[in-house]
Amino acid sequence: MITDVLWWIFAVGIVGAAAGVVFSRSVIHSAIFLIVALAGVGAMYLFLQIEFLALVQFLIYGGAVTVLILLALMLTRTAAGTPRGVSLTGPQWPFALLVGSGLAAVLVGAAVATAWPGDRGEPALLPIGRVGERLFTDFGAAFIVVTAVLLVALVGAIIIARQEGSE
Amino acid sequence: MVSLEHYVALSGILFALGVYAVLARRNAILVLMGIELMLNAVSLNFAAFASYLDPERVTGAVFAVFVITVAAAEVGLALAIVIRLFRLRATSNVDEAAELKW
Repeated sequence: MITDVLWWIFAVGIVGAAAGVVFSRSVIHSAIFLIVALAGVGAMYLFLQIEFLALVQFLIYGGAVTVLILLALMLTRTAAGTPRGVSLTGPQWPFALLVGSGLAAVLVGAAVATAWPGDRGEPALLPIGRVGERLFTDFGAAFIVVTAVLLVALVGAIIIARQEGSE
Repeated sequence: MVSLEHYVALSGILFALGVYAVLARRNAILVLMGIELMLNAVSLNFAAFASYLDPERVTGAVFAVFVITVAAAEVGLALAIVIRLFRLRATSNVDEAAELKW
């Protein structure tokens, strides 16, 4: 089936781009791989037929977060840039590789071995209306709290990043 | 046919790659990118469970919205801290900001 072939292409692309983020030797290359990986996850939401999450993913991650990361990269570069030969990876990387591959083995093994009760075997269409209705009725209080969290965090970010002596 | 296991395994691999980035990288912004990968893996997992197991109540999709919101707040705040650290120390290397460690 054509959807399955497309799914595998996107899955391999996401894992490849994420590996690029993690193993790349250049900070800018990592950021660009991150854009590809996040857009791939957005495509995964389309495969799952949750259009609302796909839209949010493309807007928030593809737009806002990656621009923010690129801006911070630009602001935190010294005039000479990253010197050649200075590794972006610390001396602890073999242990990190051990933990990462062990965790991947455990998670993939658990995912394949578990029988999920109530598995329908195919993704069901989740219309935007149903997600919105649930978000604003049963999860209304949590929604209000999370808006307050977002506002406070971003105001705090402005205060932290402000130049002192310029108020 | 793509099944739930495929999505869960994919998000497991993404999460493990994020863990590797957080543990191994020295640049604070690269650590942050690892955290972004982990958060994306989690919300993909939520969405897959919502779509395969619970399409009537869509709880997983709602939680994925919350995860994305908190991730946006977190990335803004963390980048402000990184910029502040860079202004104070002229470095964004997490190994060099170790005053709270003993």
